[in-house]
Amino acid sequence: MAIPVLMPRQGQSVESCILGQWYKSVGEEVSEGDILFSYETDKASFEEEAKEDGILLATFFEEGDEVPVLVNVAVLGNKGESFDEFNPNVALKEPANTKPAEAEEKPKVVEFDVEDDSPNKRIRISPLARKMAEKLKVNIQSLKGSGPHGRIIARDIETAEKGVEKTIQQPVETQTIKTVSQPTTILESGDDYEIKAIPNIRKLIANAMFQSLQNSAQLTHHMSADARKMMKLRKKIKKEFADGTLSQNVTINDLVCFAVIRALKKFPQVNTHYHGDKMKWFKKVHLGLAVDTERGLMVPAVKNADDLSITGMSYQLQQVATQSKSGNINPDLLNPAAATFTVSNLGNYGVEMFTPVINLPQTAILGVCTIIPRPKEIEEGVYGFVPMIGLSLTYNHQALDGGEATLFLAEIKNQIENLSL
Amino acid sequence: MPKIQYINPDEVRKPGFLKFSPIPVNQYNKTVEEEKKNFSNEDFVRIYRDMVIIREFETMLNLIKTRNEYNGVEYNHPGPAHLSIGQEAAAVGMAYTLGVEDFIFGSHRSHGEILAKGLSAIDKLNDKQLIEIMDNHFDGITLAPVKAGHTGTTKELAVKFLIYGTLAEVFARETGFNKGLGGSMHAFFTPFGVYPNNAIVGGSGDISVGAALYKKVNRKKGIIVANIGDASMACGPVWEGLTFATMDQFTELWEGDMKGGLPLIVNIMNNQYGMGGQTCGETMGYDIAARIGAGINADQMHAERVDGYNPLAVIDAYKRKRKIIEEKRGPVLLDVLTYRYSGHSPSDASSYRSKEEVEAWEKQDSIIWFGKELVKAGVATEAELEVIKAETTEIITFSIKLAIDDEVSPIMDMKKHPNLIGDMMFSNQSVDKMEDRPVEVNHPMEENPRVKQLKTKERFMFNENGKPFSKIKTYGLRDGLFEAIVDRFYKDPTLIAYGEENRDWGGAFAVYRGLTEALPYNRLFNSPISEASIIGTAIGYAMCGGRVIPEIMYADFLGRAGDEVFNQLPKWQAMSGNVLKMPVVIRISIGSKYGAQHSQDWTALAAHIPGLKVVFPVTPYDAKGLMNSALQGTDPIIFFESQRLYDIGEQFHKGGVPEGYYELPIGEPDVKREGSDVTILTIGATLYRALDAAKTLEEKYNLSAEVIDARSLVPFNYEPVIESIKKTGRIIISGDASARGSFLRDLASNITELAFDYLDAPPVVVGSRNWITPAHELEDYFFPQPEWFIDAIHERILPLEGHVSTSDFSEAEQLDRNARGI
Repeated sequence: MAIPVLMPRQGQSVESCILGQWYKSVGEEVSEGDILFSYETDKASFEEEAKEDGILLATFFEEGDEVPVLVNVAVLGNKGESFDEFNPNVALKEPANTKPAEAEEKPKVVEFDVEDDSPNKRIRISPLARKMAEKLKVNIQSLKGSGPHGRIIARDIETAEKGVEKTIQQPVETQTIKTVSQPTTILESGDDYEIKAIPNIRKLIANAMFQSLQNSAQLTHHMSADARKMMKLRKKIKKEFADGTLSQNVTINDLVCFAVIRALKKFPQVNTHYHGDKMKWFKKVHLGLAVDTERGLMVPAVKNADDLSITGMSYQLQQVATQSKSGNINPDLLNPAAATFTVSNLGNYGVEMFTPVINLPQTAILGVCTIIPRPKEIEEGVYGFVPMIGLSLTYNHQALDGGEATLFLAEIKNQIENLSL
Repeated sequence: MPKIQYINPDEVRKPGFLKFSPIPVNQYNKTVEEEKKNFSNEDFVRIYRDMVIIREFETMLNLIKTRNEYNGVEYNHPGPAHLSIGQEAAAVGMAYTLGVEDFIFGSHRSHGEILAKGLSAIDKLNDKQLIEIMDNHFDGITLAPVKAGHTGTTKELAVKFLIYGTLAEVFARETGFNKGLGGSMHAFFTPFGVYPNNAIVGGSGDISVGAALYKKVNRKKGIIVANIGDASMACGPVWEGLTFATMDQFTELWEGDMKGGLPLIVNIMNNQYGMGGQTCGETMGYDIAARIGAGINADQMHAERVDGYNPLAVIDAYKRKRKIIEEKRGPVLLDVLTYRYSGHSPSDASSYRSKEEVEAWEKQDSIIWFGKELVKAGVATEAELEVIKAETTEIITFSIKLAIDDEVSPIMDMKKHPNLIGDMMFSNQSVDKMEDRPVEVNHPMEENPRVKQLKTKERFMFNENGKPFSKIKTYGLRDGLFEAIVDRFYKDPTLIAYGEENRDWGGAFAVYRGLTEALPYNRLFNSPISEASIIGTAIGYAMCGGRVIPEIMYADFLGRAGDEVFNQLPKWQAMSGNVLKMPVVIRISIGSKYGAQHSQDWTALAAHIPGLKVVFPVTPYDAKGLMNSALQGTDPIIFFESQRLYDIGEQFHKGGVPEGYYELPIGEPDVKREGSDVTILTIGATLYRALDAAKTLEEKYNLSAEVIDARSLVPFNYEPVIESIKKTGRIIISGDASARGSFLRDLASNITELAFDYLDAPPVVVGSRNWITPAHELEDYFFPQPEWFIDAIHERILPLEGHVSTSDFSEAEQLDRNARGI
C-alpha cells in the first residue's frame, strides 16, 4: 500500500514551508530513516526522514516551492502502485494557505451569531473565569470560549492552564529537528564573480530589518554605567561556581538582563508593542535575546522572565541560546511578537557603541557593549579609571519620547550600578 | 356534614310558606322626663358632654384641614381625617352601656366612636385602674405630655389622655396611641375596649366576628360591637362575616356551655351615604338597612332600625339587645340612623347632596335638641351647658397645642433609628401558649386513635436495604403536620382551627384526621365556604390574643380572601405600634392535576406583601419542624403545602422524623444533596424533580449537582446559597410558580447582586410557563420537568457534550415570550 509523505507542520503558527532539496529521486529505493528532502520555515530549516522502506513513487513539488503544511509532497510505496490519488495539485489550483487546524481539541462552541466581529471586539467572559485567569496567569486574549455565545467560562480557563503547563514542562520535547546549513546554490558564474542564491532565512532577516527601519522612527541613545559592582558580583559567582556552591554560571550578560527587567517593571511603557493606532501593554516581561547562529540571527524569547530569579533566568537564557544554535528551539519563541523587549550583546566582540535595530512590533531594544575603563572623578580633583559598560538603547520615537527613553536608560544604568541579588 | 343531622326528604319536600316578623323602625318614644328613673342628672349631663367633646374634636380637625387654624392654633395636617360631625348621638348612645370588656371595632370614620367608648370606659373605671392603664401604655409616653402640670381629678386627666392620645395618633406622633403608625383611620386603644378601626370599608365586618368567636370560645366576658357603615353592607367580607356569625352549628352542634350564638352586635352607623353614593335610593336596594336581618336567619338577627339622632333611643336599644346576647341568642343587627354634615373627607365638595338637605338635618341637630330637652326637664341650666361647651373648647385647644409640639410630641426619629418601622413588622416572639389555663380536650393525647396509629408507622422512608416501605406503613408529610398541630392543641388552650371540611372529613387532605375525636366543636369546626371570613375571623381572633389555624383549601382560592391576607393580616402588628400580635398560621394547599383554577402556585403573591412570613416545606421532617416553629411564634405565617406530597416519606433526615418536639428556624434553606459543579435551588415540590435531574447529570454528564431546598421564602437567608455558589459558580432556581413575577426571580436578582464575582454564568430561572395550568394530561408541558434543568444548563450555563435539548431555553425564546406577555 502506497503511503503519502506530508509536508510537516513545525510550530503552531506555521502555515507553509519552502521545499529545500530532494535527496532522493523518483524511482529510487528508500530505506526507513533515509533523508528524503529538506525544508525551511520562517526561522529554521529541517530534514524529513522516510517513515518506511519503499520506492519513491512520485514527488509533487519542486525545490523552492512554497508548500502548505500537511499537504502531500511525495508518495512512497511498491513498484507499480498507483499514486495519483495522493496528488494534491489536482485538488488545489494553487498552493493555498490552508488555515492551520488548532493543535488543541476544538472546544464545543454554541453558535448564536448575535454579534459580528466589531472593531472593538469585547471579550465575553464570566466573572469567575476572569478571576481564575488572573490567578492562574492565563492569557484570555487568545482563548476561544465554549460557553453560550462563545463566552469564556471556568472550564476554558482550566483547560488552557493545563495546556500552558504542558508547554512549560516540555519546552524542548516538542521539537527534535536537526538543522543543517544550507548548501548555497550558485546561480551564475563569471570571471571575477559568482551570483549566489540567498537562503530563505537571509531573505526573511533582510525583510525584517528593512521593514523595521522603514516602519518606525528609530534612534539610539548611548550611556555607560559603572560596572564595578557587577564585576565584583561576577567574580564572586565565578568562585562559587568553581567551588560548586553555585549551580549556574551567571554571566555579565545575565546580570545586565536582570537589571533591564527591573527597569522595565518601572517603565511599563517600554514593555510594549506598538501597533500604529494602539499600543499593547504587557503585564509580564518576555525577554528576547539576540543569538548569533550558523544560519543567521535568531531572537528567542524567555517567557515571564520577570518571574525568574537570577539563576533561573540565567539558566533560561542559556537554554534558549543553546537550542537556537543547535536548531532545537521552539519556533513559537522565535516570533518577534513573543518577546516584549530584546537585549543584544556585542560586548564580547569589543563593540563600544552601536545602533541595534528594533525587533518590531517591540518598542525598543538594548544593545550591550564592551566594558571600557574611563576616567571619572573619584573625589574632588582626584581622577581614576573606572570600568564602564556601554549601553545603546534604540527606541521607536512613535511610541516613546526622548525624555521617557532617556529616563528608562538611566534606570537601567541605575540598576546596574546598584545591582544586588 | 355531621351524620347526626339527618336530612329527611319527607320533611324537606313538604309544601309551606316562609313567614317574616315585623322589624321595628324608630319605635323608641320616651322623653327625658320619663327616663329620669333610668338616668341620674349626672348621667344625662355626661351624655351631653360626651357628645359635645366629640363635636368639638371633629370641628377642630375640620378647621385644621380647611383653614389650617383652630382657635388661634396654626397647623397643617396633610393626612386623612374622615369626620363624623352630626353622628355624635349614635356614637355616645352605642358606647354608653358598654364596659371595658366589651370591644368595639370601627371604620375609617370612627373618631367619635373612639372618644365615646373611651369616655364611657373612663366613667366606669376607678382611679387606680385608670392610673395603671395610663402609666403602662408604652411606659407612660402618651401620659407624660398631659400629666405635666395637671391639676384636677384622675378622671379629668384620663379624659385629656384620651383626647391627646387620639389626636397625637391622627397627627402621626410617636406619643399617639399607636406610635403614629395607625393614624386617623386605624387608631385604637385596647385598655378602653377600643379595638382597631379599619380604612378598608367593611374591613371590620369579618374581623369583629373573629373577636366575638374569641370571647365565646375562651369563655371571656363581654360583647363585640362592629361599627360599620351602611355602604359597607355592599361588601363581600361583611356578608361573609354575617354568614359566619350566624352559622346554625353554634346552636345545633356546639355543646354544653358552648351552645348558643356569638356575642356580637353589628351596628350599622347608617349615615345614608357611602362616600358620595347615596345608599338608599342609588347604590343599595334594601330601603331600610335593618331589612338585611330578615334575610340572614330565622331570628332575623333581632334587627331593628334605631333613631341615632336620639342618644337615649340608642342606649335603650343596647340595653335590650345585650339581654338577647346574654341569653346566647345573638348575633344582633342594629340599623342606627344618623347623618353627617361634614363631607366624606375635607376635600369633599358635597356635590352629591343639596344644601337644603344638610340644613334640614342641621335644624334637627342632636346636641342642640338634647340640650334643649335637658333644660326643659330641669336636668341642667343653659349656663351649665355653656360651661361644658367652654370647658370642652379649652380641653381641645390644650390637646392640639400639645399634639403639634414637635418636642413634646415628636414624630418617630427615622434618622436616628432608620430601621424603626422594620423592627416593628414582626414581633418574632416565642410563646408556648397564648394563655395559661388547662386545655379543653376529649381525651389524653396518647389515647387518640391517630396518635396511636402513628406509633406503628415507619418514620424514615427506606429500610436498611434502601428499599421503600409500603405507602400505608410510611409516615408521610401530612403526619408531620398532624403531630405538630395536635401537640399544640394539647399545649395552647386558645388554639382553634377551622376551614372547609376541617371537622369530620378531617380536612380535604386528611391532615386533621383524628382531631375530631380529640377536640370539641369550639376548637375544630367547619366554616362556610367563605375564604374572606375564614381569614378575617382569624385576624379578629388573634387580635384579642388567641392563636388560630385557618385553612384555605386551594392556593387558587387566595384571591377570595385578598383583602384579609394582603391588607389586614400583615399590617396590624406594625400599625398598632406592636400592641397587637398576630399568631395566625394560614395553611394553604397547592394543587396539581386539577386544572386551571385548582393547581396554581401563588407563593409570589404572599411573598410580595410586607408583613407576612412565608414557608413551603416539602419533607415530613421539615413540615413538622416548621409547623412547630410557626405555632410557637406570634407572627402571621402563610404555610404552603403541596398536594403532590402529603403521603411522601422522609428521605433525608437520618433516623427519620423525631418523635418529640423540635423546631426548625424559619428562613433557613437546606442542602438536600451535596455537589460541586452546579447548584439547583428549589421552592416547593420541584425539589424531587430537581433531584431526578441531579441523578441524570451525574450519570450521563459527570456533573455533580448541589440541590438546595428553600423551605422558606420570607425571611430567607442567602448565605448558604452564596457559599454553594462559591463552590460551583453556577445556579438554577426553580419552582412550580409561573416564572414571571415569581419569587424565583427575586432570588435570582439578589443572588446576582450578592454573588456576582463567583458566577460562571448568570443565575437561570426555571419556572412554570406563564399560561393557565392545563389538565393533568398536559401538565408536563407546564411545570418544570427534570429534562428542563438539563436543557437549561446546556443552553445557558455549560454546554454539555452530546446533549440534545428537547425544550427551548434560548435567549431568543425568552425575549419572544416576554414580548408576547406569555
